[in-house]
Amino acid sequence: MIVKRPSIFVYTNRHDDIMLKEICAGIEEEGVFFEVFEKDFQDLATLSFDAANESMMGSGIGISRGSVALAMKGVQKGKFVEYYDKPTHEECRKIGANSARIIKKMPLK
Amino acid sequence: MRLIAGVDIGNSTTEVCIGEIDNLGNVTFPASASCPTTGTKGTVVNVHGIKSALKEAMAKIGKDVSDISLIRLNEAAPVIGDTAMETLTETVITDSSMIGHNPSTPAGAGQAVGKLIGFQNLGSARQNEPYILVVPARYSYEDIASVVNRINGMINIEGIILQADEAVLVYNRLDKKIPVIDEVKQIDKVPDGEIAAIEVALEGQGVRMLSNPYGIATLLNLDAEQTRKVTPIAKSLVGKRSAVVIKTPAGNVKENVLPAGEIYLSGEKDISVNLDEGAEKIMKTVADAGKINDITGQSGTNVGNMFERIKTGMSDLGTVEKSDIHITDILAVDTLAPVKISGALAGETCLEKAVGVAAMVKTHHLPMEKIAESLRQDLGTDVVVAGVEAIMAGLGAVTTPGTKLPLAILDMGGGSTDAAIINENGEISMVHQAGAGELVSMLIQTELGLEDRHMAEQIKRYPLAKVESLFHMRLENGQMTFVEDSIDPRFYGRVVLLSENGLIRMEKDIPMEKIVQVRRDAKRKVFVTNAFRALKTVAPDGNLKNVSNVVLVGGSAEDFEIPEMLLEEFANYRIVCGRGNIRGCEGPRNAVATGLVLSYVGEMK
Repeated sequence: MIVKRPSIFVYTNRHDDIMLKEICAGIEEEGVFFEVFEKDFQDLATLSFDAANESMMGSGIGISRGSVALAMKGVQKGKFVEYYDKPTHEECRKIGANSARIIKKMPLK
Repeated sequence: MRLIAGVDIGNSTTEVCIGEIDNLGNVTFPASASCPTTGTKGTVVNVHGIKSALKEAMAKIGKDVSDISLIRLNEAAPVIGDTAMETLTETVITDSSMIGHNPSTPAGAGQAVGKLIGFQNLGSARQNEPYILVVPARYSYEDIASVVNRINGMINIEGIILQADEAVLVYNRLDKKIPVIDEVKQIDKVPDGEIAAIEVALEGQGVRMLSNPYGIATLLNLDAEQTRKVTPIAKSLVGKRSAVVIKTPAGNVKENVLPAGEIYLSGEKDISVNLDEGAEKIMKTVADAGKINDITGQSGTNVGNMFERIKTGMSDLGTVEKSDIHITDILAVDTLAPVKISGALAGETCLEKAVGVAAMVKTHHLPMEKIAESLRQDLGTDVVVAGVEAIMAGLGAVTTPGTKLPLAILDMGGGSTDAAIINENGEISMVHQAGAGELVSMLIQTELGLEDRHMAEQIKRYPLAKVESLFHMRLENGQMTFVEDSIDPRFYGRVVLLSENGLIRMEKDIPMEKIVQVRRDAKRKVFVTNAFRALKTVAPDGNLKNVSNVVLVGGSAEDFEIPEMLLEEFANYRIVCGRGNIRGCEGPRNAVATGLVLSYVGEMK
């Protein structure tokens, strides 16, 4: 029985809607499932670290206000694969796509 | 006690060996160094490279260059090598345009045919006519999907070409599922109003219809003659995940086929051979011609242009006049070169048969005396030009543990492969041949379609690995290595080169296996062919069985796989062959420089 869907977790705290939408579009374009959860703490390192470790695929994104970070299961907390403060739309797409590419074992954009 | 220095100026590196001679005439070697050669070998600018190599070597023993009492330069072999490449079939001409590419995420498998229509021109679309929609990146995926869904049933959209990387996003929002191709960068070059066929391959497959000439004919209603002309397009689309072929009105492209041409060899025998015949036949002809005075190509042909380029390149170096340049040896190698397809909208290429040629030019006596004079003035030290390069290399090579005379040396450098055999009496026979490390780099560059030569040099030099996660990579021999600290994400999922200064990223997306194969083939084609050719020339009675020991020296002998390749091949002739180890510690480098010091000791006695 499958308990969890094999999806990328996106943990957010007081996120910007457009930012979140672009990030999700990045993931969708790569054809990977994702789930978004609203959290009540705002530390970006914890958000992305937890998302990566609780995702079955080991890839997670944390969004805290205007900052976004991509983390991978197994990488120490606070060390991001990719990080942006106030990202552009393209950067949001890119970080979304990269979170999927980690799972697909493809070169990052 | 005296310090003397042997200096060897090569095509690509300058080697220095410092010898310390005590009062009894015993010699020790406290230091050595190597630096890139400055300028063309045999010109006065070499002095800079020599000085920095001397400085480096002397610094190792805490002394100054002025402590050297004598510098001995080699009498460099007066040969310079160059490489060129020419395809056998010139420009592919078609009257269709095409885009064939490998976007990572196209969507909706299948093929579609229709008239190309820009997103902004949808208003002028007519009913009952199939269309392929062309959308620049400025429109969002939501707008595109909602417009297509709204006009569904009124206007017949059969497929979509996108500029942005949004195929899946659009496809997921469509009511009627149609093939969507994305990442077409130069979308403005897609002509409005022409008929086009698009195809997206099934999961895990390449395109089927558009990589088949009859498939294109079926979709675009071509006759037999037109189908013949689209064959190169079909060929270049093989293996692609998605493709677009656009039918453009015929007659605006003229066919201009340049013949491959004849190579004329003037030597003991004057013979010619057509480039079409391939590398093997050309090399046989070169062997048949005996000692060669000059090689030219038929004018107005590919090969004519190629030899012209080599000679012009040589005369540009300024050491010789163009009329004095005679090509005395060539090494021809079969290869594949990417040829630009006319009509390709995004600069697509297809691989065509080609011949790569390394040529060797005998120049006049190189002005070594001038270099010696310049060095003498700069340093205030005694400088002499001593000894023929091959003999010095031989003297140096004998210091390899486990060797004895008679001995064959294969000096594999950047520009040329030289062979020499020294018998028990110290008599020597030698040959200089075209084709070495630089030709290998050129073959790697063209076959992999790399932009710059530097990357090809790196591929030649270092083994490959694929970064499979942030913590491990798989090496080309199948081994895995794990790293303590995570690998930089820039390398994630990519093929990398393992250099001594860390990882080097391959920008182009080429499978590791393909790179390994191209690299090994290039080395084999150049060095194995040349090693046999050279040794047959110098071997007693021209018989390889009369050679017992071969020592490999020179820069290319340091390669991580060439010596093994040669060992395997020579083992069939019961020849002991291996990478030299000069003085038991230098590896294959420094043979000539060491020989220069040793010959001085010999002269004293």
